[in-house]
Amino acid sequence: MRIRRRQVLSGSAAGAVSLASGLAAPAIAANEPIKIGYLPALTGPSSSTGVGINRGVQLAVEDINNAGGVNGRKLELIVRDTQSDPTKAVNAVSELTQRQKVSMIFGPVNSGEALAATPLIARDKVPMLHPCWVDELIDVKKYPMAFRQAPTNSQIGGGANHYVVDVLKLKKVAVISDTTGYGTASVNTYVPMLKAKGADVVYTNHIDAANPDLKPEMLRMQSAGAQVIMPWSVNAGFLSRILNTRGAMNWDVPVVGQTTLGSGQTKALLEKPEYWNKVYSNNFRKCCYVDGKLPPLTAEYVERLKKAKIEFADTLLWWVALGWDGVRLMADVFKNGGTKAEEIVGYMNKVKDWPGVYGTVTWTPQQHNGFPDSEVVMCEVNSLKDGAFNLAPGYAS
Amino acid sequence: MLQSIVSYGLAVGAVYALIGITYNVMYSASRVFSFTAGMLGMLGGVLGALFIQKMGINAVLGFVMVLACGAVLGIVTELLTVRPVLKSIEQHLYVLSTLAFALMIQQVTAIEWGTEAQPFPVLLPIGEGWLDQKFWLPLLACAVTIGGLEFLYRYTLIGRAFLAIAEDNYAARALGLPETWLRIASFALAGMIGTLAGFTGAQMLLAFFGNQSILNFYGFVPVALGGMGSNRGAVIGGLALGLFQQAANFLVGGIFAAVAVFAVFIVVLLLRPEGIAGASTARRV
Repeated sequence: MRIRRRQVLSGSAAGAVSLASGLAAPAIAANEPIKIGYLPALTGPSSSTGVGINRGVQLAVEDINNAGGVNGRKLELIVRDTQSDPTKAVNAVSELTQRQKVSMIFGPVNSGEALAATPLIARDKVPMLHPCWVDELIDVKKYPMAFRQAPTNSQIGGGANHYVVDVLKLKKVAVISDTTGYGTASVNTYVPMLKAKGADVVYTNHIDAANPDLKPEMLRMQSAGAQVIMPWSVNAGFLSRILNTRGAMNWDVPVVGQTTLGSGQTKALLEKPEYWNKVYSNNFRKCCYVDGKLPPLTAEYVERLKKAKIEFADTLLWWVALGWDGVRLMADVFKNGGTKAEEIVGYMNKVKDWPGVYGTVTWTPQQHNGFPDSEVVMCEVNSLKDGAFNLAPGYAS
Repeated sequence: MLQSIVSYGLAVGAVYALIGITYNVMYSASRVFSFTAGMLGMLGGVLGALFIQKMGINAVLGFVMVLACGAVLGIVTELLTVRPVLKSIEQHLYVLSTLAFALMIQQVTAIEWGTEAQPFPVLLPIGEGWLDQKFWLPLLACAVTIGGLEFLYRYTLIGRAFLAIAEDNYAARALGLPETWLRIASFALAGMIGTLAGFTGAQMLLAFFGNQSILNFYGFVPVALGGMGSNRGAVIGGLALGLFQQAANFLVGGIFAAVAVFAVFIVVLLLRPEGIAGASTARRV
């Protein structure tokens, strides 16, 4: 093989560059920021959760960086607003994994976007931390680098079922939903779980959420002998119609279900404020008041939020805490495990009882759903104060 | 049960009837079936809640502002989505142009107003049950609208001009009637009727961007049942639809209530394709 003069020269130049960069490399790596890809929905139709979570995320990054970062390296958030659109989330994933070369991805924070983005993040072999609830996002075989710090939808339904059957001791249950995918899937999943717990599901139906008059449905539930109504919907209009009709009928039956029952949008649509009584929605033990007090770690966190002037008027404590926990959890992983994918996954597989404000997290190589059942609780929706609610009556404190 | 069927049925039916009339008024002036009727209904509720509830504007002024917005949107609809496609009406491009415009407005509403249903204020709190505004206000609006249109078409010159272009726009133009201006006026009138439907029905349907598709469809049913261009047919069809829908809610419930409505709709059209009050079209053989 003939060697030309140009090849020798170019080879020498390349060698010189690589020598120089090789010498400089450790110094740069030691100081360069740790990149975290972050996929919140900050705009668009389903952005209220993302906006709340984002307040916790930004504050945690600020606090960690102000304290010197992680092992001397700052955290750098590469934020891409998914605009509540799965297509935009998918596009952002390619940029984060291939161009930005992030160490880890937090989000997407909405289920629809997470379902679209997760297979792509897994394909690019980047570790990810999920804050949303869809069961299918975690599968140690399909997505070995995906971990969840939040409960699954099954845990959410299980928490509500536990409250109805074991805490309120009610057996005759009406389970209804709107006709959305979420609503119908929830009813189809939760009804067998209720029956397995010994409940008698006396009425179940999928109802058009646009129907302005729910009295026929409520009368059917009443005549079926329902002692409690469990509506599964994220539609505030639909939920408020259930509560308004229950109030107009003077039917003193508890309503137990999803977090939207306790949202400001639902409250705004109630015909009378007292129609919000005896309504219990999903929440998380560490973010609930017991006898007017939050757990010590959460109370300390709320003080930190107040000091940082974080607004609660339009958000919930658990949303903000979820974002805060996510960043702190990743920072702990980087600090104790490392920033390479295999180091991150290796460390996360061994996390045990990590003490978050939102929840305690434990992962094993076989189980990447980290949230404990015992911390999925119900709260009294009419007790909102500083973004948090009272634990629903009946729980042992 | 009967009271609930009649009160809700008539109230929702009156809203459907008004949306049906909106379709008809636009159709009569242009032979275009404009799918912006549901959008106007949706905006009637959203703008009413925005002006009166959020901005604290006096209810009467707020109501007038909503109707004015409806008129402006009607005119914009005519200018942007109807006039450019009138020359090739047989290609039915208006389906695309009007639907696209309505979807754009709906998306803007979703972004600016939000995707959650929001409350509409009780403007005339005179009592509960039958006296609740949500039951009688849509019926009153429907009665006033049909009465006003009858008066306009029968006893005023401009109304007769509307009828003339609806009957034969070439002949009307040949007689010197300003067809373009009359069409613009018709779309403005339709805009006001559409927003009136949404405004009066909003306490029941809430101020919600998602009402657009529901009103677009359920407002179309009375037109098909009552006969295209027939306002009286739309009123009868709308009220009948509301009552039947509510009765189906009680009798079968859930999503089957909607199935029952569609089933009856299809059966009626199979038996009488021109609609209940529509005249069958003569065909040259």
